[in-house]
Order: sequence, then C-alpha cells, then structure tokens
Amino acid sequence: MEKEIFHHPKAKIQDYVPVVGRSTIEELRALAERLSGKVIQNINSTFTGGGVAEILTRMVPLLNQLGVDARWTTIKGNEEFFGVTKKFHNSLHGRKEHISSEDLSLFLEVNKKNVGELIFDGDIIFVHDPQPVALISEKKRFGEKWIWRCHIDVSNPDKRVWEFVRNFVAEYDAAVFSAPNFTQQLPIRQFLISPSIDPLSDKNKELPSEVIDSVFDKYGLDKDKPIIAQISRFDYLKDPLGVIQAFEMVRKSIDCQLILAGGTATDDPESEKVLDEVRERVSGNPDIHILLIPPESDIEINALQRAATVILQKSIKEGFGLTVTEALWKGKPVVASAVGGIQLQVKNKFTGLLCHSIEGAAYAIKRLLSNPEYADWLGKNAREHVRQNFLITRHLKDYLLLFISLYYPSDVIYL
Amino acid sequence: MIEWLTKNWLSITVPAVVFLSFFVVAIWARRTVCNYLNELLSKIKWEGREIFLQRIRLSFFQWCLILGAYAAIQVSILSPYGKALTGKILGSIFVISLTWAIINLAEKLLKIYLNKIKALSLLPTNLIINAVRITFVVVGVLILLDIWLIPTTPLVLVLTIGLLVIILASRDEILNIFSGFELARGSLIKIGDYVKLESGEEGYVSNITLRNIQIKSSDDRTILVPNSKFTKTTITTYRKPLKKAIQPFRFYTQLHIKELTGLKARNLSELVSILKDVPDSVVYYHTHHFVEEYQYLTPQPANEFALWVSDVIGDEILAEKLSNIDTFEFSTIGELRERVIAVINEELSTRGDGRTAFEGREFHFIKSVSVILPTPYVAHDLREFVEVLRKVSIDSLYFHIFESRLRLHRGVNDFSIWLQDCLDERDLADKIAVLDPYNYTLEGLRFVIIQLIEERIK
Repeated sequence: MEKEIFHHPKAKIQDYVPVVGRSTIEELRALAERLSGKVIQNINSTFTGGGVAEILTRMVPLLNQLGVDARWTTIKGNEEFFGVTKKFHNSLHGRKEHISSEDLSLFLEVNKKNVGELIFDGDIIFVHDPQPVALISEKKRFGEKWIWRCHIDVSNPDKRVWEFVRNFVAEYDAAVFSAPNFTQQLPIRQFLISPSIDPLSDKNKELPSEVIDSVFDKYGLDKDKPIIAQISRFDYLKDPLGVIQAFEMVRKSIDCQLILAGGTATDDPESEKVLDEVRERVSGNPDIHILLIPPESDIEINALQRAATVILQKSIKEGFGLTVTEALWKGKPVVASAVGGIQLQVKNKFTGLLCHSIEGAAYAIKRLLSNPEYADWLGKNAREHVRQNFLITRHLKDYLLLFISLYYPSDVIYL
Repeated sequence: MIEWLTKNWLSITVPAVVFLSFFVVAIWARRTVCNYLNELLSKIKWEGREIFLQRIRLSFFQWCLILGAYAAIQVSILSPYGKALTGKILGSIFVISLTWAIINLAEKLLKIYLNKIKALSLLPTNLIINAVRITFVVVGVLILLDIWLIPTTPLVLVLTIGLLVIILASRDEILNIFSGFELARGSLIKIGDYVKLESGEEGYVSNITLRNIQIKSSDDRTILVPNSKFTKTTITTYRKPLKKAIQPFRFYTQLHIKELTGLKARNLSELVSILKDVPDSVVYYHTHHFVEEYQYLTPQPANEFALWVSDVIGDEILAEKLSNIDTFEFSTIGELRERVIAVINEELSTRGDGRTAFEGREFHFIKSVSVILPTPYVAHDLREFVEVLRKVSIDSLYFHIFESRLRLHRGVNDFSIWLQDCLDERDLADKIAVLDPYNYTLEGLRFVIIQLIEERIK
C-alpha cells in the first residue's frame, strides 16, 4: 500500500531557514545530493496515529523536497495481529504480557503474507519498530541496505520477546535507537538518533499573546501569579501526585499556582483512575488547576506551555520525553526527573534543573521562581540547545548521514 | 532655335544671372561664414570644430545653390503651377540635404563624446547613433510630407502610440538603461570591486553592461543584478585591491552521526578499562561533541568524562581535575586519551572506585562518524575569506578549527595553514593559531577571527 498524498502541514524546507539558518539547509541539500539515485523505502504499520506515523508524515515530504526519493509503505494486518504487536510493544517496554506461541506464529504469518504483497522498491529499506521486523527475510532478494529503527525503549525488555525480535534485528545492516540507554547489545552497527520536534507545527509555533490570554480566560487562570505546569497524560509514571506534593512545598513560601494538564489514553484504563485520584487529592485547593485536554488541542497545549513560569516533568520513567523538548524550545526553565531521554535534553544547571525526588523538584522550582534572571538564562540556553540538537532539521540531517554512512565502513568519510 | 532665343533672351538671362549671382555670393559667404566660425570655435577650443566646419562648408554651398535656383525660378517665366512645383522639389531637396547634414554631424560628434565617457563598454554606441539617425529621418520625412501637403497627423499619432507602447513594454529595460548611464557617469562601482548588497549577495564585480551588473560570488555563481535595482539598493563597496592567494581556500563542512559502541561503564575502573581500548573516534566524541552540542554556552561544559563523574559518580574533585585538562595542549587524540586515563588512575589509586552508577545512568561510549563534504564557498583573498566566514555554518568552522587540528592530525587549524602558505600572512596566521578555541563558543570564535582579518585588511 503506497501513500500518495501526505497531509503534512504546509511547511516547506525553505520555511525552516529563519529558524535554523540558511547554511543548515544548504548542508541538508548537499547531503541529499549524495543520495541521488537511491530510493529510501520506509516501512511501518500505519499511516495515521502514533508517533512513528507522525514523524514520517513530516519527514518523508521534507526528504522529497530535498531531492531524496523517499517513499512510505505500510504493512497490512488484522486486529488480532495488532493485538499481538501491542503486547510485543508492552513487553519490550518491560511490562508483563502473556504471549503464546500462537501469538508468535500469527506475527510470523502476517509478516510472511506481507512479504508476498509488498513491493520492495527501495535501495535502502528502513523498517520502523517491531511490527514489520520479520520482513528482513527478504534481505537477499531486495534492497542494498536494511535498517531497523527502534522508536521504543528496549533497555529492560521481556527477555523472551526480545530474543524473538533480536533474531530478526541481527540480520539487518544497522539499527537505530533514540537514546544510548534504550539499547541492547547487538552484532550490527547501532546508531543514535534522537527524536525531534517540528518548530513550525501547531504545538510549537509562535503564538500571538491574544491566543495565550484566551486560554487563561478559558481555564480561569490568574495572570498575576506564577504558573508551574506539568503537561503530560494522566499516568502514574508521570507522578502527578508527586507533582502536587512538590507544589505544596513550594506554595508554603511562594504564592503561585499549579496546572496539571493532559489527556487520558484510550488504550490505558488506568489513566481515568489516575485522573480521579488527582482530582480527589486537590479538591478545594484553588491554586491547583486540573485540566483535561481533549486530543487535537495542540494550540491549547502550546499556549499553556508558553503561559507557564516553570515547566515540570516529574516522571518516574520516561521515553525520550518530547514534552520536555517542547518546553525547552519555548525558552522555559524546566525542572525534570533524571530519567530516560530527559537526561539528553536537560543538562543539569545548563539547560534546566534535574531532580531525583519530590523534595529535589520543590527546591529546584523555588530556585527558579526566586531567581528570574537565572531562570531566564536557563530558558535561553534551553531554546538554543533544542535548536542545535532536537529540531526536525537535525533529525533530517541524521537520517541523511545514516543512509550515507551505511555505504562507508570508516569513521571519517570524505564525500 | 535662334529665333526662339532672340525672342526670349531676357527670360533666360535674368534667371541665369540671378542663379550665377547666388553662386558667387555663396562662394563669398561660405568663406566669410566659415572663417568667422573658425575663429569663434578656435577661441573656445571645441574638439568638434573640424568636423563641424567641414560639414558646414559643404552643406552651406549646397544650400546657397538651392536658394539661388529657387530665386531664379521665381523670376522666370514659368507658370504659377510650375513655380510652385519646382519650389516644392527644391524645398524637398533642401530638407533631404539638411537632414543628411544633421545626421552626419550628429553621428561624428556622438562618436567623439561617447568615446570620452568612462565606462565605454557600458554604452551601446551603435544603438545610440542609430536612434539619433532614426529620429532625424522621421522628422525629415514628416517635413517632406508636409511640403507635399500629405496629412501627417495620423502618422504622428501612430508613431506616438508606437513609441508609448515600446516605452511601456520595456520600462524596466529603460530604467536599467538610465541607471546604467548613472552608473557610467558616476564612480559608484568599477570592475574588480568587491560589493556586498543589501540582500546579502556579495562578490567581485566581473562585468558592467547596459542592463545589469554581473557579480561573481565566492561560491562560483554569477549573480546578475539589474542596474535599476543596483542603484536603488544599499551596497557596500570594498575597493582596496587585495593580494590573491597562491591557492584558493575551499571551505569544507563536517557533519557527524553518533554510532553506539554498545560499551558502557558503571564506575571509574570500568571507565578507564574501556577507555584504553576504544577507537580514537570515541575519545574524540566525548571530548569534543559538547563544542557543537553546547555551542551557545560560554564557558562550555568540560568534557563528558568530567560531567559524568560529577553528575553520576558524584566525585567533584576528580570532575574538577578532568575539567581542567586543557585539550588545546594536545596535538593527538592518543596523548589526550593518556592524560584522561592518568588523571582517573591517580584518583583510583588514592581513593578507590567510589560510587557505582544507577541503572540507566551508566557512561555509554559513543563513536563519532564524520562526513566531510565541500561547500560551494571558495576564497581567493582575505576579503572573500572574511565574507565567506560570516556565512558558513558552524559545522564548517568546527571542521577547519577543531577536526582538522586534532582528529586529522594537522596540528594547527586550516585557516592558519592557508594564511601562511598561500597568502604569506604570517602574523595573522599566528594570531589565529594561538587562539584557544575551547575558550569560545563557535559563534564567538567566528567573531574573533573575523575581527582579526578585518583589522588586517582595513
């Protein structure tokens, strides 16, 4: 199944020049030229929904604009198959799931069926996540290079599932992970490519002050009080109760308000429970605002982040933590737990403050609220840090370099 | 015949006498007028004098003869119709002669004056002369038509409309041409000047034509700027001629991707043990990638070993010692690696291994894979060099300053090598070579180098 039209927001590669500079775009074009004649075929499981589809929706058209023949194909599978891959996903994340041998057979069967139906027309076959991982059986027949892109944290996987997936991954020419501590030992080359945000998307673009004001009015927020905000889905792993405790410690000495904003995941029955617990915990406290944000509210989330004085991400466990990237890009001082990919983004005392406990979070928030100049300095660094390392243009550059480097074994490549 | 002459001798003689009288007067008048004009023009030293007098001498005589013929006919016995007809013919001959004389004179005078204008190449001499010829021919034809009583109003109208259409259709071109005259007249620019336009385009002026200015940019593009645009925009001109390099400087850029080695250390012993065997590209990555990753910070964080020891192991003393390793002192990665290992070993021998990192906070050894590719930018002299330096990416700057010096074993940065070897700019080369790049942000470093070069070419 080939996707013909990409419903990407109107962003053109040239639109990024004011954000990252002309020379960066020139370099992307120069790299893209080196891939002339090569077809990059991305394969994943869906065109819509989920982080991978969102990234490809933006990346593929931009690669095309740079002159790279990038294509995007999806595998087909029934509900049962995706039920199994969902269990794979959870297991690889370390959650206990019952996976039967029938499940494994179904996984292999659907992959095999897709082998027969798919048209492999890429020189570089770029397979995303575990669902299509078994397509590697066609390596000898199609493509010059095969890459497996792992978008999930496989540092503590269910061993049985990982062994099953690993057997396929080991056949690829290279694997790509988002953070060093998301990886596993593999006999193939492994590259590190962090995710990115799109500075021109609704969630990250500049907003007029009227839009921000309208969000203040909508949720009855006090414009004159500093705002501490955690914008994340309602999940125990995001430690919303810890956030409330930290806020209460801060509130004893500094007049401020807390916003806990986020959605509930439809595939996570626990999230409703978390939301209820949070609501019960804060009832009667006028300085704490619990906002249930509906899906597709990117502009509202953007406005809330921009309205905040300090942004908090007190996760107990975290993937890469793109909500942190979004906050850093908005030049906000961030207090975040030293977990997962957050450590790549928040360099303690340079681009934000890291914490390891509720007390640590409270102390860091107080430091920032009482030292606005320091908070401002951190915020400015944070924005530059994201500009340099976590924007979609850097992501494009890494992909282009990845494709090129597969054809060269050395550490220094002259083109 | 004799009988006819005897009867009409008076009717023949009078016009002949009148004509001959005009002939004599013409010879006398031509000499007198020419002498007078000669004297007059000699006083004002006009360079067109000879051409003017030669033309007047010839034409004046012709016009006197035409006048003589006209007078002779008027006193002749021809019928009124015959007189009117011959009058028109003579008038037409006069107009043709006058037109011819004016065209001839104008052509020769224009050649003199156009040759005197500085930017001759800019001016299309033939085009101007042809335009003058056509103008006078058109005027002459209109007068002739008027003499023969042919209505000229429709023709004048058609010509006017045609002219307006041409002007409207080529108004940009006309603007360019007028701007070209302005450029030719003034001393705004000349071929060989280095110009920088408001739009950011820059380079050496390689040609000036009537329609545009051609600029050769440092990335080897030819930029055509319409004259009208050029005269309206703000330009900076650097006129001082600069010494050309023996070899031009080609700017390269370096982009890197991170490759995981799969190796990780949980404590100091493991850190040292792994560090001994990893490739240079790993040591290079952990001692340099912050230069780009944190290029906005000054002072930048120290190397990643120091950061990890401080943040994860919590050994601030060792972290300080590692931070204090001056990367600029080393000319090879091997020496730098030995120094890092020695500092950690010293600590291990006195205070032991210390804390072990929590799961997820281990030190991951990462390799930097560099892709080096040429940019379109080339500099032939210091002016071009400084202007390119303003616009290349920080990756390019990083490559020529850091990567070449240490990882590619050149010992000194590329800029200093080129300045010394190809431009014989020893002082400038030394000033850049002694800058410790680790003490600047990349943008800060760019600024300092630009200042040093600007100072030199001022």
